[in-house]
Amino acid sequence: MHEAPIINLGGFNLDLSAVLMLFVSCLIVFVLCRLAVANLSVENPGKLQNFMEWVVEFVQGVVGSAMDLKKGKPYISLGLTLILFIFVSNLLGLPMGIITEAHKPESIFGFVIEATRNLSGGEHAEILWWKSPTADISVTAGLAIIVFFLMNYLGLKHNRKHYLKHYIEPFPVFLPLNIIENLAKPIALAIRLFANIFAGEVLITVILKMGFLGIPFMGIWQGFSIFVGALQAYIFTILTMVYIAQTTIHEEDH
Amino acid sequence: MSVLWENIVITMISFAILYWLLSKFAFGKLFAIMEQRRQLVLSQLEEAKQTREQAGVYVEEQKEALKQARQEAFEIIEQSRQSSSKQAKELLEQAKQDASRVKNEAVRDIESERMKAVEALRGEIGAFSVNIASKLIKREVESNPAEQEELVGQYLKEVGSKS
Repeated sequence: MHEAPIINLGGFNLDLSAVLMLFVSCLIVFVLCRLAVANLSVENPGKLQNFMEWVVEFVQGVVGSAMDLKKGKPYISLGLTLILFIFVSNLLGLPMGIITEAHKPESIFGFVIEATRNLSGGEHAEILWWKSPTADISVTAGLAIIVFFLMNYLGLKHNRKHYLKHYIEPFPVFLPLNIIENLAKPIALAIRLFANIFAGEVLITVILKMGFLGIPFMGIWQGFSIFVGALQAYIFTILTMVYIAQTTIHEEDH
Repeated sequence: MSVLWENIVITMISFAILYWLLSKFAFGKLFAIMEQRRQLVLSQLEEAKQTREQAGVYVEEQKEALKQARQEAFEIIEQSRQSSSKQAKELLEQAKQDASRVKNEAVRDIESERMKAVEALRGEIGAFSVNIASKLIKREVESNPAEQEELVGQYLKEVGSKS
């Protein structure tokens, strides 16, 4: 099992790998978007601008399928950020993984890496530095919690009466069930994304152990992983939009 | 695999920062440009529609004008044909008249010339006859030549009208 390079900053466990990969993901997404809007043109759009416009239209389609596009306009930015960030994150672990092997307590920036603290003799720890950030359940949980807060906050803000009423529908007895349902949404989001990407990386590790024999399988699996990464980003985004629509939009016939 | 609450917090913060940065520096511009592009395409479509309609109207006008021009050309040809045939007729008429007039004149001239010639001839013949007759009947005419000459002229006139 690969360990995370965690250092303890006065009780705060800082996962250097997660920080690094989140930073890389955010940087790639931000640079991509900045490049795409660097030479904006109304008359003669460049290739990157066309690509970004296609992504925006795709997200508009996603938002439009979950709710009325007029009401969903403020969520397009959110959907765009989500889909780009998750897609880039999913792909980051595909080309490579960086793993160091430690046989004795190692330290970085003057702090001991927790996983290597009690190493002695023949023991060793493999520390995973480069991976998909979404292959870490804490990261996907963070994203899911953002969605969870957002949907409940927006529900309370825009649709308070019906949002609160839906907890005791169809009968007040259903209150615990509705609460569980509400809590299950972010958990399902987090676990789905994490499990898909983590499984992809585990299988890549397994195929690597096959040596040269694994090259064709690796090609197939890498291609499939790109597909899965795009699909999971899409699913995360559309579910976010559906959840937001469920809590904020009050349908007249209810 | 354990869930680290620190990672959750870091993720939430980094995602929030990314969202803020993108909204501030990228999406606003992109959305504005996309809206502009949408407007541009709409206006161009509208313009193309108008141009097409105008072209249709123009073609219709041209067709009408062509038809009218053709009609006019036909009329002009018809008119000129009629006028030319009328003119030709007139010319012919004129020519006929002229010819008949010339002929008549010629006939009259001939007549008068003939009359003159006859007159002259008659005179000469009269004189000759008088001479001949005077030679033949010198005696009778010597006494009263004028009376005789008148008599001969009367006979010769009869002769001339019979000839």
